[in-house]
Amino acid sequence: MMKMKKAIMPVLAGVLAMSMLSGCGSKSDGGASGDAVKIEFFQNKTEAKATFDKLIAKFNSANPNIKVTQVNPPDAETVLKTRVAKKQIPDVIGIGATDTYSTLSKSGLFEDFSSDPLTKNIQPAYLDMLKAQTGLSELNGIPFSTNANGVIYNKAMFKEMGLTVPTTWDEFMATAQKIKDAGKVPFYLTLKDSWTTLIPFNGMEPGVVGIDFFKQRKEGTVTFKDKFREVADKQLQLLSFGQKDMFGKGYNDGNVAFAKGQSVMYLQGVWAIPEIQKANPSIELGVFPFPATNDPSKNKLVSGVDTLLTVSKSSGHKAEAKKFIDFLLQSDNAKQYITEQKAFPAVQGVTQDDPSVADLKPAFEKGDLVDFADHYIPGAMKVDTIIQGFLQKKDVDAYLNSLDTEWDKVANRK
Amino acid sequence: MAKRRIAYYLMTIPALVLFFAFHTFPAIKGIYYSFTNWDGFSKTFDFVGFKNYANIFKDENVLNSYLFTFKYAIVVTILINVLSLLIALGLNAKIKFKNFFRGVYFLPNILSVLIVGFIFNYIFANVLPIFGEKIGSAFLSDNILGSENWAWIGIVIVGVWQGIAFNTILYLAGLQTISKDLYEASSLDGASRWREFWSITFPLLASFFTINMVLAMKGALMVFDQIVALTGGGPGRATQSISLLIYTGGFQGGEFAYQSANAVIYFIVIIVISALQLKFLQKREMDM
Amino acid sequence: MMRKSTNWTITTLIALGSLLILFPLYLTVSIALKNPEEMARSIFALPTGLHFENFANAIAATDFFTAFKNSALVTIISVLFILLTNSMVSYAIARNMNKKFFKGLYFYFISAMFIPFQIIMLPVVNQTTTFHMNNIVGLIILYVVYGLAFNVFVYVGYIRSIPFELEEAATVDGATTWGTFWRIIFPLLAPINATIGILSCLSSWNDFLLPLVLLGDPESYTLPLVQYVFQGQFSTDFNLAFASYLLALLPMVIVYLFAQKWIINGITQGAIK
Repeated sequence: MMKMKKAIMPVLAGVLAMSMLSGCGSKSDGGASGDAVKIEFFQNKTEAKATFDKLIAKFNSANPNIKVTQVNPPDAETVLKTRVAKKQIPDVIGIGATDTYSTLSKSGLFEDFSSDPLTKNIQPAYLDMLKAQTGLSELNGIPFSTNANGVIYNKAMFKEMGLTVPTTWDEFMATAQKIKDAGKVPFYLTLKDSWTTLIPFNGMEPGVVGIDFFKQRKEGTVTFKDKFREVADKQLQLLSFGQKDMFGKGYNDGNVAFAKGQSVMYLQGVWAIPEIQKANPSIELGVFPFPATNDPSKNKLVSGVDTLLTVSKSSGHKAEAKKFIDFLLQSDNAKQYITEQKAFPAVQGVTQDDPSVADLKPAFEKGDLVDFADHYIPGAMKVDTIIQGFLQKKDVDAYLNSLDTEWDKVANRK
Repeated sequence: MAKRRIAYYLMTIPALVLFFAFHTFPAIKGIYYSFTNWDGFSKTFDFVGFKNYANIFKDENVLNSYLFTFKYAIVVTILINVLSLLIALGLNAKIKFKNFFRGVYFLPNILSVLIVGFIFNYIFANVLPIFGEKIGSAFLSDNILGSENWAWIGIVIVGVWQGIAFNTILYLAGLQTISKDLYEASSLDGASRWREFWSITFPLLASFFTINMVLAMKGALMVFDQIVALTGGGPGRATQSISLLIYTGGFQGGEFAYQSANAVIYFIVIIVISALQLKFLQKREMDM
Repeated sequence: MMRKSTNWTITTLIALGSLLILFPLYLTVSIALKNPEEMARSIFALPTGLHFENFANAIAATDFFTAFKNSALVTIISVLFILLTNSMVSYAIARNMNKKFFKGLYFYFISAMFIPFQIIMLPVVNQTTTFHMNNIVGLIILYVVYGLAFNVFVYVGYIRSIPFELEEAATVDGATTWGTFWRIIFPLLAPINATIGILSCLSSWNDFLLPLVLLGDPESYTLPLVQYVFQGQFSTDFNLAFASYLLALLPMVIVYLFAQKWIINGITQGAIK
């Protein structure tokens, strides 16, 4: 018996040590550090990290019993899905109204805000937009800010070269040609980061094809091959106006290069403006809607919910989480966010008055807006990598073909 | 005596339990999931039979990731072994500062692959182009990671830069087991260096060669960190390894079950390769 | 004899080759110490100003000490457990290879050498979640398990080369199997423990994939994972980024500088066996 005991001792000691360790581990998981409730705020916008940090500091000092910490990883949507697979969903989540949002909403992971007082001050159009996107009767997120996707241009350089803002595709190309002839770079392209290839794609799709396409594609009445040739040709046309080594540069490189005047125009969303201004605070820039077609009435501004706020159903501190959201929605805080991020408000009574985005104001006032095309494409298709591959190979037929086959493949897997 | 035997059995229990719980059991579960349509987070899922497997064989992206991974693994394995053998021969020669150089060549092995990848990412984007422009090479003055045809070379460079370290040390250890007397005898015969290498050194290193080939190949087939740091699998899908495809597809694309099926197929492929490799290399060893 | 004198051709070649190894590391150190203005002047030149504030900024931005503590904890504890548990099971196997159970166990374990982690990655993440193990403890346990295949292979080979007589003598003196293992065998394993300890230490410290898929709470992130997570924030501030990389690499480099000979010998010794 003695020997048995001796035999088991090391094993037991090991198990004990392990369980003690896991004991510590789980305790710190529960959010120790004094009595403050820990709220994890997960958001996907690198550009917005500093602004959120300021707002969080303000919230934390006003609420000593709550401690919000921000998490902002790269490739945030993958990380978020991994976290979901790990069943460790952050308490508060801030993401765009993307396919990831739809998928996770459909899996029932987020709170339902349909009758929540938090939605009181939100513009109803955006609430409807979210519902339409998921196709659910529940409202699983609260729109916080919206964005716009278009062409950022260097105002000083436009003036110097005597250029005007183009409203049609032909004018757009003529402008680019003039810049090129003057020995300057029309667009700084950042094709190493595949997601940036989506900007012109999203800019052109609604005008040239139309968002309805995706519904019809689901029903099987149309194909990419029938409808997307013009988009593909225009995508290639843009490449001839890019800089040297366009496939070797990424988004960060692009922001800095455009800020330093290395190109006259830059195909990006308004979210890039704070980054550009960080690299060159005195830059004079403007934004115009992507002139996708030769019919200016068809060239609507691409805009969608940039950040929506939501709470995980599995959060242990929902009241505190909602308190934090309520804080962000307060008009002075929303205003601060909108101002620093050059985004557009979803909160009523808050306005975006920055001169850099003044060109876009009429479109917002008239409601000449159209959603992001890629939000209607299944994430598993990885449409950005397909586009990135196409821009390298420049084979239009193969591109259209792979859009169709990839779409079918993903649909077939369900 | 019975107690002795019991003690032996008890000694195996912790390892056995943990190993089964965290290796064998997940493997079985993975096989199970591969027959479902689970996306990794939904509450419900259905059985779909062999549908995932059938789809994988039709999936160009999967084929593409296998081609890339094997192309990468073969090139890296060969380069690492040739270069590290050369370096080991050099370090084993009569040179100055032998220990210092040995220390330098082993240094990359202690560094994090991911961070090394980030450092090289910077070099490819900002340093090599400066160099390329100086020598007037249009090819080198672009970031090679941005090119669909050449990005994989960048990943090979990082893999080799780091992989050489460990294999060099193993070859060096092997060389030091070879008695000096053998060389003394051969130099009396007037054998050339080249003949000396092939008739004495290499046969005596055969077992080290086998181990090094297997180790380098195994590491290369799992390539993940460098790719995350350098290209993220791009441009397009040009540098998407099997590991990366399983990770991104399995978690991000909501294809948990589909990529589980991919993993099962990969497992079978690895088993076949390992068996062939061992058989082939051991046979060589015996022939020599 | 010709061979007695220094071969300068080979010395030169080896020195040139080592420059290829050292150049990226030189860049890392020099960029980490520069400021953007110096960078704009020349990427290659030696830093003129020594901007140590880059390190202070990197420490603050990435919460370096938390990540360092996590990495150190994971590495030290997993290495200890690996040495204790893996050598123990290897001893039982090595001394009973004539029995079907132990022989079977041996092949069961080492067969895992051929299974890349990616193959079981998806279900493992799922399972560790169910067990609430997506934290540092889970990471440690998985390192202990995933090293098993290779370690058992190495340990068993080594233990079988230790003569049986020593243990027989101990048994006659009335020592138990456990006593024999701890007092006689384990000390004899010192060289191979060194080999396995060093290799496990390097792989745990530098691992990226497992922490990436396993760790949930950002406060439990290890050093490589933190570098990944902060890529976006580093943006084009390369000085900050490189200061952070250097900090993450430094602990292991310092250990290596002091224990270089011992580390290389440890690995070499294992290889010859």
